[in-house]
Amino acid sequence: MDSIVTKFNLIYMEKITSIINTILINRGKREMTLISLDTHLRNDIGFDSLDLAELTVRIEAEYDVDIFEEGIVNTVKEILEKINID
Amino acid sequence: MSLFYADLSIEMQVTWSVLIKDLKKTSSYNPYCYHPDFYLIYKHIILSLILNEKIILLDNDFTIEEIEKLTGYKEFTHFSKPIDLCGLDNLKSKEDFKNIVNKVDENWKITLYTSGTTGLPKKVEHSFETISRFVKSSNKNKENVWGFAYNPTHMAGIQVFFQAFLNGNKLVRLFGLSKYAIFDSIKNYCITHISATPTFYRLLLPTDEKFSHVERITSGGEKFDEVTMDQLKILFPNAKFTNVYASTEIGTLFASYSNIFLIKQELEGLVKIQNNELMVHKSLMGNIETFEADWYSTGDLVEITSELPLRFRFITRKSEMINVGGYKVNPEEVEEAIFAINGVKNVRVYSKKNSILGNIICCEIVKNNEDINETLIRSHLQTKLQEFKIPRMIKFVKEIIITRSGKIKRD
Repeated sequence: MDSIVTKFNLIYMEKITSIINTILINRGKREMTLISLDTHLRNDIGFDSLDLAELTVRIEAEYDVDIFEEGIVNTVKEILEKINID
Repeated sequence: MSLFYADLSIEMQVTWSVLIKDLKKTSSYNPYCYHPDFYLIYKHIILSLILNEKIILLDNDFTIEEIEKLTGYKEFTHFSKPIDLCGLDNLKSKEDFKNIVNKVDENWKITLYTSGTTGLPKKVEHSFETISRFVKSSNKNKENVWGFAYNPTHMAGIQVFFQAFLNGNKLVRLFGLSKYAIFDSIKNYCITHISATPTFYRLLLPTDEKFSHVERITSGGEKFDEVTMDQLKILFPNAKFTNVYASTEIGTLFASYSNIFLIKQELEGLVKIQNNELMVHKSLMGNIETFEADWYSTGDLVEITSELPLRFRFITRKSEMINVGGYKVNPEEVEEAIFAINGVKNVRVYSKKNSILGNIICCEIVKNNEDINETLIRSHLQTKLQEFKIPRMIKFVKEIIITRSGKIKRD
């Protein structure tokens, strides 16, 4: 079951969703309409290492945090944890 | 009156006779050359030749701290010494400089600093022989007019200066001027020869101008892309295009009408290719403080196109290859692919550190067509480049940052 999306991180969810979709469009892939906290970056979205690398750069540009600095991040929830919004 | 130097941006014109008068009036000599003005730099070099004394060129934009780190001094007034140029009575016209140059011996040395993009510039000392190795002095070159498109204290600028000076040619400043001032200078002074970096030429495009009187276009320092080359052939319809391989450490070493260089007979045994890298024997080089080995690694990666005689083409700088998750990306290849898109005026491909792949490819684009957007660029590149070579971050900018030498900044 999905984790609870609070009002507070809803705004950030929208931003993360938009970043993920930018990367998908850039690779000529279809946008995701539904992204939840438990969505897995590789298994559900299909991101490969190049996509994950781009994700880190875009999130860093937005929030000044390198989400992969200390290891692999798997889900959207883990991204939010890294940028301290959980 | 025969002109020695012209700079349209400050409405300066100096004839050879004014230069000679100026030289004769000089009462002191300082080996350190640190001037904001191109003419003063040229005059200083000529004075060093007359006196057969060492000269040390310092870039005008070095800060005082940089100068102190490089030379050990904050200022150089105590190096000035009085000189007596009364014996220059025989110096009456530009032809007389030939006698002066003939007397220059191993006492004369020119020191310059490489324009390295990281760390402190490296000091390199050249003799007259290494600095003038590729200078062609002949009657055929007497009427040439040179567009001066380099920093005058850098190797490429010094080479152009000597080529023009030893042939008694007119020098016209183009470096650091706006596109329109450059066009006006080419037109007004009937420039016949220009030597510049591909970035310099790119900044002249696009244009409807056409300069039929330009006979020779020389480029070096970076690889030329075909799109720019095609447009330049329209801008300079009668020019021969030459590629030059030169560096601060070596001076000019090869020249070619295409991108393939042939090792001349006199250089056999002094140039070799090891692990795809061009290596040069120390006997061809200037003096570098920290260098003692027999062979110098140029850091330039080449591809051999024929073994006997040895011919090769340059691929890229070794250090410029970007490692993306173990894959090597040549930024020039990516730039070339982006350049081929209609509406792209200039582009810079560079790397950004990344915790996943080590590096990630980024680019900045200057566009001259509002219809150009990221999606269009990506869909074009997806048909031209492997996925890992396509920039993951694309930024549209007003202008591209270039180094003091006029090359694209990649760090």
